[in-house]
Amino acid sequence: MLENQIPNRMRRNEIIAVILVIVATIVTITGVIVVEKYRRSKFYTVELVAREPANGNWYPRKITVPYGEKVRLLIRNIETVNHGFALPAFKVAVNEIKAGEVAVVEFKADKRGTFPFMCTVWCSIRHMEMTGELTIK
Amino acid sequence: MKNKTITAFFIFLCCNAFVLTNTLFAKERLIEVKARKFSYTPNLIRISKGDTVHIRLISEDVHHGFFLDGYNIRTSAHPGQDGSLTFVANKTGRFSFRCSVTCGEFHPYMVGYLVVNPNSRFYAYLFLTIALGLAGIFFQMYKKNNTHPAKEKLFGLIDMDARFELTKFKPVRALFKSRWFPLLGIIINLFIFTVILLAGFFGGYSAGNYNFGIMIVWILWWVLLMFVLVPVLSRTWCMVCPFPIFSDWSQRKMLFGVRTGKLFSLNFRWPKSLKNMWIMNIGFLVTTFFSGFFTVRPLATFVLLGAIILIAYLMGLFFDKRIFCLYVCPVSGFQGLYSQFAMTEIRRRDPEICKTHSPKTCYVGNEQGYGCPWLVVPYNFTKNTYCGMCLECFKSCPHDNMAFNLRPPGTDLLIEKPRGMDEAWKSFIMLGVAVVFFLTMQGPWGVLKDMVRATTWQGYLSFIVLHSTFSLLAFPGIFLAFSYVSKVFSGSKDVSLKKIFINFSYTLVPLGLGVWIAFSFGIILPNGSYILHILSDPFAWGWDLFGTANFPWTPVFTRLMGYLQGITLVIHYAFSIYYGFRLSKQTFATPAEAKRGWIPMFIFLTLTTIVFLWLYIG
Repeated sequence: MLENQIPNRMRRNEIIAVILVIVATIVTITGVIVVEKYRRSKFYTVELVAREPANGNWYPRKITVPYGEKVRLLIRNIETVNHGFALPAFKVAVNEIKAGEVAVVEFKADKRGTFPFMCTVWCSIRHMEMTGELTIK
Repeated sequence: MKNKTITAFFIFLCCNAFVLTNTLFAKERLIEVKARKFSYTPNLIRISKGDTVHIRLISEDVHHGFFLDGYNIRTSAHPGQDGSLTFVANKTGRFSFRCSVTCGEFHPYMVGYLVVNPNSRFYAYLFLTIALGLAGIFFQMYKKNNTHPAKEKLFGLIDMDARFELTKFKPVRALFKSRWFPLLGIIINLFIFTVILLAGFFGGYSAGNYNFGIMIVWILWWVLLMFVLVPVLSRTWCMVCPFPIFSDWSQRKMLFGVRTGKLFSLNFRWPKSLKNMWIMNIGFLVTTFFSGFFTVRPLATFVLLGAIILIAYLMGLFFDKRIFCLYVCPVSGFQGLYSQFAMTEIRRRDPEICKTHSPKTCYVGNEQGYGCPWLVVPYNFTKNTYCGMCLECFKSCPHDNMAFNLRPPGTDLLIEKPRGMDEAWKSFIMLGVAVVFFLTMQGPWGVLKDMVRATTWQGYLSFIVLHSTFSLLAFPGIFLAFSYVSKVFSGSKDVSLKKIFINFSYTLVPLGLGVWIAFSFGIILPNGSYILHILSDPFAWGWDLFGTANFPWTPVFTRLMGYLQGITLVIHYAFSIYYGFRLSKQTFATPAEAKRGWIPMFIFLTLTTIVFLWLYIG
């Protein structure tokens, strides 16, 4: 009964409004998450999280990548201090990754073995402990 | 005699030394500045104009920076690797130097002051304030008594009844009557706040200065509120606020259309004793206890906003309409209070039409619009404070008798009813919070920052106690003392102290708004450039949507900041003393009493203005 009293235009507008609200909330949230998942799987080999040793250090601290392939590291500084990144064996480094920012490192995994990487910015008292290992096999 | 001569000679020498060192010979100054989370030592450097200054920056813990406002020069230091900077102090005034390398969560608040003497702009504004005050009070005391006080003009220039109706233009009226109008704005904001919540959630514990949520909420939104939304457009934020949309939806079971008949809610009655601003007062004060987290930690902002949305929704289940917005929302109260000073208003147009119109569709609603969700009576209300500008009355009025007007700022301050202790305390709390925020966020004292960010429980608790005592008791206490002096001065026997106290508290509205605008300059000018970064990379995942992700932190117009803050304070002070005298005439029975009673309050306002001038630029 009530449905018939509402003019068609009103009903159409109501549907548009509901769709817009869903787009603004649910579609936005899922969209952002799906896009980011896809982006990471497509463009990056490994995701590396940078935190000062007291808050968790590099995560993961040991990375393994296959031999002979091009490696792209996505380094995310999720903290409140700046960090740096260096992988001396492959002569790649990022001078400074600002707090809350990301950096991308690219190199070709053309040597087998285990290599150290470390933070290059004095990020805390325990800065020197902020190291990790990259294994290529 | 001999003693006197020696003293005189000594004074002469001292004077000479003072003059020589300060003006004739510019000195070379080497200053060692030690930086540690989150303050500098020394945190206050005084030099003279013309000095050549060498700064050596020493970091004691992590990589810190040094950016000098006004001079736009910077350096940075790693532990064991000092930074250096040389400049000629050719601009006078007080300038902040701030950390330019993200060093921790309180990094944006890591500042110190460099005062280049003579601090002429502070003295200029001090002089301007006092001169303006004296001119004002002289004029107020000696002007012959106006027989129609209601006909007095604002500053003798603008008719207080002058209104310019913006809705007389057909497109504006059509817009205001469209059901899409606030709804689309709400949905756009819903989208923005969805992104803010997402960024807050994903940003977690990380640095707030590169987080979309923190930046949009605490830099852009807060500053927009203080600069434009409240002082110009009244409660426009409430018009487009997305927080209560879910509550509205569940009550109306409709987003766009109008459902006639009862709203869906459990229809609890809101207690009469809570139909005031007290919950909002306490809520806002308690929220500021956590300012050291909300403004720097993305997750804390997520929790705060999430809680507001959730509470709004839950309250919508229990209570009708916008009870949450009216009596609970922490940011609603100050918008209501300060929107009395706004330059726009929503009012009914012609009282005659409303008199004969029955039923009052603006209050009970019809097919075109809901009855006022904010529980005001659109056909007869007089001040902006409790009107949420939802525009339903424009839609439900069959006579198009609602208007959106431009008006002289502050006319609501003269409306005698309703006034109350709750609104008075809102004024005090807002000023108290402004002082506390300034000291902790833009002041150079590391001790205070450690208290606010809760490095120790004792420190944090003492911050809460001091902050509450100052805002709830000390500041109102001083005001009460001045009110008492005002009562004594006036010689009036039949005006109660309570009435004097409440009425004069409204003089703090223009000044308070000015204090907040001036404070906001200190947020937006140094930190506004972050917004370019976070728009391109909202979740700090390395996105670059608009190509501005690598835009560096660039403070802008820091040279002008002190001037802008000074002039803002002086302008709002002028409004305060204008309205103060009008309020005095309302409060006291005779003009003579009003003049005498006004003097202590005038002194209070002048002193408060000077204190804030000194805080901001002195």
